[in-house]
Amino acid sequence: MAKTRLTRGKLLAAAAPLAAAPLVGKLALDGEATAGGHDHSSHDHSRSPVSHQRGAMGHSAMIGDEVPAVGGPNDLDALLYPPPALPYKPGRVREYSLTASDVELEVAPGIFFPAWVYNGTAPGPVIRATEGDRLRVSFVNAGSHPHTIHFHGIHPSNMDGVFEVVETGGRFVYEFEAQPAGLHLYHCHATPLKKHIHKGLYGAFIIDPKEPRPPAQELVMVMNGFDTDADGGNNFYTVNGRSFYYAKYPIRVRRSELVRIYLANLTEFDLINSLHLHADFFRYQPTGTGDYWEYTDTVMQCQGQRGVIEIQFANTGTFMFHAHQSEFAELGWMGFFEVVE
Amino acid sequence: MEAQSAAPERSRLDWRVWAVVPVLLLALAVGLVVSSGSSLAELVGTNPPPADEFDIRRVEFSPGEIRITVRNPQPDDLTIANVNVDDAIVPFTVDGETTLGRLRSATIVVPYDWVDGEPITVGVTSSTGIETVEEIPAAIETPQPSVEGFFGYALIGFLVGVLPVALGLLWLPALRQAGPVWLSAFMAFTAGLLAFLGVEALSEAFELQAGLPSSLGGAGLVLLGVALSFLGMTALAGRLTRGGSAAAGLTLALLIAVGIGLHNLGEGLAIGASFAIGELQLGAFLIVGFMIHNVTEGLGIATPVARTRVTLLALAGLALVAGAPTILGAWVGGYTSNDVLIALFFAIAAGAAFQVVVEVGRYVAGNAPGGLRSGHAIVGFIVGVATMYVTGLLVA
Repeated sequence: MAKTRLTRGKLLAAAAPLAAAPLVGKLALDGEATAGGHDHSSHDHSRSPVSHQRGAMGHSAMIGDEVPAVGGPNDLDALLYPPPALPYKPGRVREYSLTASDVELEVAPGIFFPAWVYNGTAPGPVIRATEGDRLRVSFVNAGSHPHTIHFHGIHPSNMDGVFEVVETGGRFVYEFEAQPAGLHLYHCHATPLKKHIHKGLYGAFIIDPKEPRPPAQELVMVMNGFDTDADGGNNFYTVNGRSFYYAKYPIRVRRSELVRIYLANLTEFDLINSLHLHADFFRYQPTGTGDYWEYTDTVMQCQGQRGVIEIQFANTGTFMFHAHQSEFAELGWMGFFEVVE
Repeated sequence: MEAQSAAPERSRLDWRVWAVVPVLLLALAVGLVVSSGSSLAELVGTNPPPADEFDIRRVEFSPGEIRITVRNPQPDDLTIANVNVDDAIVPFTVDGETTLGRLRSATIVVPYDWVDGEPITVGVTSSTGIETVEEIPAAIETPQPSVEGFFGYALIGFLVGVLPVALGLLWLPALRQAGPVWLSAFMAFTAGLLAFLGVEALSEAFELQAGLPSSLGGAGLVLLGVALSFLGMTALAGRLTRGGSAAAGLTLALLIAVGIGLHNLGEGLAIGASFAIGELQLGAFLIVGFMIHNVTEGLGIATPVARTRVTLLALAGLALVAGAPTILGAWVGGYTSNDVLIALFFAIAAGAAFQVVVEVGRYVAGNAPGGLRSGHAIVGFIVGVATMYVTGLLVA
């Protein structure tokens, strides 16, 4: 047996790999400090190079400039404020042009959704006619897939946007008499239906009654969602297409004036959507038809349901409105009314 | 004559020049492929879009705040556009750039009133709308580096590493009385023990590398670690024995201690890291389990010096070499999250353990009565593995 006596020097030499370990450990720590940033200085903000400041706020304080919403103050005016109602005049022709296309919509700050849209936005433009008008909608499909426009309302079978599928580059003119009065919808009915709707091909369709509704500040709100990662569930919820938009830019209305909201639900995947108004009550007319009005502060709609809200605010001030599914509210479906005298 | 003397001169220059040629040609080819953009792929089809998923490396909780460390695992840039906590959009800031290049990391800071002990999910959404979700089984405050924490990890490392090894070394007086057959059985037992630790570390290394983004992982990383330590230990053994003869006595004990020490470094890392991210309940039962599991390591170190005179100082040194890395590992694991290094550490531990098995095997082959084929060597090895397996159940 060849005995090897071990000196202390040898013992140290043998421990070299272990002596190296703390060094490697130190490297790991340093690497963390560079890559991970500032674990040890989280309360020392002066030392944190923050390139992306959005400010600290809770849900309740989520209003104004701090809110993560896309765009400037008047970007969605064309969708929020409908074209004016025209007086009853049977046989008058109302013409609209809708073009379907593929666009990248910024639905939340920095989030780009590959959408299919009518006239560049999801929801598409508000179509408005008075009962008895002859509605003529020229549709051009500039998108990469076949599309249609299917209107709710009463019309002939060949104007229903189900059988006459418009191929890419094709066009079709939908023409029918506007009836009945109410708030309706239009949306693409090409298959797969779920895909064509959640991609953004829908909008509000108002038919004004023969007897005009009382004058009011009129608003259109189309509730929708965006499934940005295509997993069959919405990542963002909005009214009129941008999450938290009306939290960043509250809707200004007058307390002295009647406010009428045309509310429709085009949310895909989720069974229902809803609107809840804080600190006040409103009258709600389902589908905008008939004599039945409900007095409430919360309404629920399944996909395709819609109705007309009328309210004269009791107080001035800032009032929140949002889906009363808390999840939707915290994923973008929340805004404010700013009620002034 | 002139031509003959010139020829070797020219060819000596030539091989260096010629060696550069393939490199230059490769650079040229690389340049051509890069400048062709996607036109190569278009010959055969369409490139799929990038996955745009983040690698969420670490989620840390402190009062009123969540910190999410993400890495971009893909070749294409990835932009942090939105952050959700429990399916709600939350305001956030990013330490560093919001657009991450390949393998770059950033830490997202979210002011958030989280609920202690409850499950929570965080989601990071890229600019293309793809959300990467990480579910945390229970939100608990992440330990911050502190004096108490530092000593706490040291104490835990001491209890599960140094103490049991030192206790195991106290078998030495008993071993000195044992006959040669028993001694070689214990040597074989040590080899079995080390083989067990090696396999365990190797499996851990493979599992860890599999969890890494593919651009960082790969089984080759494990081979690199194993080769580094196996060959490093081989060179060390060669130096210590001044040449070919098999290591014995204190040298062998030291090699075993180094092998065990590297394994215990990994064990400390695992304990520290799992505890820090709330995956491990560090109860008394677990610590006791590690103590029982590791006490046999002391026996393994003591056996080769059963016939050698050793000072108490040398024994203490051996206990430290084998046990103290647990403390170091607990510190590194508790306060960092470098998953690549941790995978590499385990591979290194495996390589070291296997090399020491070879050393012990050579010793048993040369010195034990009956060599490697004797019944006591075979049974000793198997009992070593079985003992580690059974005591290992205590910490599973």
